[in-house]
Amino acid sequence: MTHKYLSQQGLASLVGELLAAGTRVIAPVRAKDDAEQVDYQLIDSFADAAFGVRLPRRSLKEFFLPATEVLLHYKQTKSGVEIREVPTVAPPQVILGATPCDVAGLAAVDKVMNWDYRDELWFGRRDATTIVSFLCNIMDATCFCTALGLGPESFTGSDVMLAPVDGGYLAYLVTERGEALLKGHGEEASSETIAHADAARKEARSKVEPNLEAIPAEFSTWLASNFDNPLWKTIALRCHGCGACAAVCPTCHCFDIVDEHISTDEGVRRRNWDSCQTSLFTLHASGHNPRASQSERFRQRIQHKFSIYPSRFGELLCTGCGRCSRACPGGMDLPTIVSELVTLSQAKTEVSGQ
Amino acid sequence: MNELREVARKLLAEGTVNVVIGYEEGPRGVRPAFITAAEQADKLVFDTRCVQNLATYLNPRRKQVTQLGKAAVVVKGCDARAVAGMIREKQLERENIVILAMRCGGVLQNPETDTELTAETVSVRCAGCTAREPKLFDHLLGELPPEPPVNRQRLEQIAALEKMSPAERRSYWNEQLSRCIRCHACREACPMCFCVKCTAEKSQPQWIDSSSTLQANRAWQTMRVLHQAGRCVDCMECERACPEHLPLGVLARYVADAVERRFDYKASDDPTVPAPIGVYKTDDDEEFIR
Repeated sequence: MTHKYLSQQGLASLVGELLAAGTRVIAPVRAKDDAEQVDYQLIDSFADAAFGVRLPRRSLKEFFLPATEVLLHYKQTKSGVEIREVPTVAPPQVILGATPCDVAGLAAVDKVMNWDYRDELWFGRRDATTIVSFLCNIMDATCFCTALGLGPESFTGSDVMLAPVDGGYLAYLVTERGEALLKGHGEEASSETIAHADAARKEARSKVEPNLEAIPAEFSTWLASNFDNPLWKTIALRCHGCGACAAVCPTCHCFDIVDEHISTDEGVRRRNWDSCQTSLFTLHASGHNPRASQSERFRQRIQHKFSIYPSRFGELLCTGCGRCSRACPGGMDLPTIVSELVTLSQAKTEVSGQ
Repeated sequence: MNELREVARKLLAEGTVNVVIGYEEGPRGVRPAFITAAEQADKLVFDTRCVQNLATYLNPRRKQVTQLGKAAVVVKGCDARAVAGMIREKQLERENIVILAMRCGGVLQNPETDTELTAETVSVRCAGCTAREPKLFDHLLGELPPEPPVNRQRLEQIAALEKMSPAERRSYWNEQLSRCIRCHACREACPMCFCVKCTAEKSQPQWIDSSSTLQANRAWQTMRVLHQAGRCVDCMECERACPEHLPLGVLARYVADAVERRFDYKASDDPTVPAPIGVYKTDDDEEFIR
C-alpha cells in the first residue's frame, strides 16, 4: 500500500477544491439540536467538520439507502399507465472522516445489494462515492469492532484512511480511487511518519480489544443449530421491539416498498426503512405471524447478523459500532449478549465433545 | 433498597408472583430486570438512574414478558400513572398485578453521563412532580428522599412555543418532524400505546402514508399525540426511544397542558378516575362546536 503525508492545511485545501468543483462532501458535524452530539452531514466548508469528537449518532447508510426514497412515478393515462423511473446515477460525493465501523458497514451491505439483483440506486451512490476514513480515536466501552474481524484501524471499505500524525495526517491509499482523490495533494511520507502512524493504528486496536474477545468462527454454525434453543425465550425480555437499533445500525438494510397516491391518477412507489424488530414485518395476510413475540424477533436479529448473513455472504452483518446499545431504551446490550451466547456455545461444544 | 429486595424475595418465594420487574445493574448503567427466582432478588436496585418506565412491560402486547406469569412491578409515582391508565382502559386487572411503589426523589435526565441531581441534570419530567409518594401500590417502599431541584428546560421550551404565532409554531414543528423516520419506536416504547393494530399500520384504507415525508410524519405524530391527550403519563419513554431525538416529550406535555386547562384533568394514578376521553360531562366547554 502506498502512503502520503497530508498536512492539516493540505486536507483543508483538498476539501476546498472538492467543494468548489461541486462535489458533495459529507463529514461529521456538531448536531444542531445537541452540541455534544455529532451527525454525518453535507458540509459547505471544511471548518464545519468536527473530526474525532465522538461516534456520529447515525451511521452512513442514509446517504446510500435513505429512510424513504422514490423508486418511480406512475400516472394512469387513457392508453394505460405511464411509468417514470428515477435516475440511478448519483452526483459525485466524498465522505470524509468516517469511522472504520461505518465504512465497513457499507462494504458488508454491498454483498446483499448485489446478490440476486443488483440494486441500482445503492450502487449508483456507492460508485459515485469516495470514502476517506479516519483512524478511530473515539472508541468507548461499548465498541467491539475488534471482536468481529475489524478494528479501529481497519481499511475495509475505505479508499483512503487518514491517521493523525504531527501537524497533519498519514494517508493510507487503499484503493486506486483513493489514489486518484489525492492526486496532486500531499507529499511523500517519511519513514518516521509511517512508523508513527502504524504505531497509532496498533495502539487504537489495543483500546478496543479488551471490550470483547474475538468471536470464534464456529459461532455462526452454533447459532444455526440452536434456532430452537430455549435461551431465546428469555433473551429479549427487556426489548421493546421499537427498532431504534435497526434505525441507527450501519448494516440493517431491510426496506418495505409502498405505492402512495398523489392524486386519483398519479402516485409514487417508494421504499422505506423497515425492521425485523416490529411485528408487522412478518405479519401474513392471513393474520398469522410466524414471529409472534419479541423473543422470535430478537432471535432473528442475532441469527441474521451472526449466522444467516455469514453463511450466505461469508461475513458478519455487524461491525461492532455499538450504536444499537447506545440507542436502546430498554438496556439491551449487543456486545454483552454476543459474549454470553459465545460462552454458551463453547460450553455446549465441550459437553458434546466429552 | 433492602426493603425492596426483601419484599421481592418474599413474593417470589411464596409464589405470589412469578416475576418481579425491577431495575438491576447492567453493562451500561441501570437496566430493566426480570427476576424469577427469590435468590436473585438481591440484584434489584433503585436510585436516581432508574429512568425507565417499567409499567411498559405490563403491556399485553409484550408476550415475551406475559409468558412468565403473574408479575410484580417496581414503579415510581409517574410510572404508577401508567399502571393506572392500563387498568382504567382494561388492559390489566388490578388483582393480577403487584405494585411495588418507590418513594422517589427524582431521576436523572442522562443517567449514562451524570450522577448528581442538579437543576441541569435532573429529568425535566420531575419538574412539578406531585407523585413522589405514589398512591397506587401494594407495597410502598423506601424513605422519601428530599425534593429534587427543578429543571426548567422543558417548561421554558413550552413557554416559548406558546408565545409563538401559529405560523412560527408550525415552522418549528415542521423542522422537527421532518427528521422523523417513521420507525414508530415512540409507539413501541410507550406504555399507553397498546392498540392491537395501530392506525398507522392500517392499509385498507391507508389513513397515514408509511413513508417519512413531512406530510405523513406530521399526520402520524399529530394522531399519536392527540390519541394520547389526557392519557399520556409523561414518562417520556417516547423521547428516550426516538433514534432521531425528536422533542416528543415537549409535544406530549404541550397537549397534556391543554387538556388540563380545558378539562381540569391530569393523568391520574387512580384507575377509578375516568380520563376525559372516556367520560361525558354536561359542563364541558363546547365553544368549538358551533
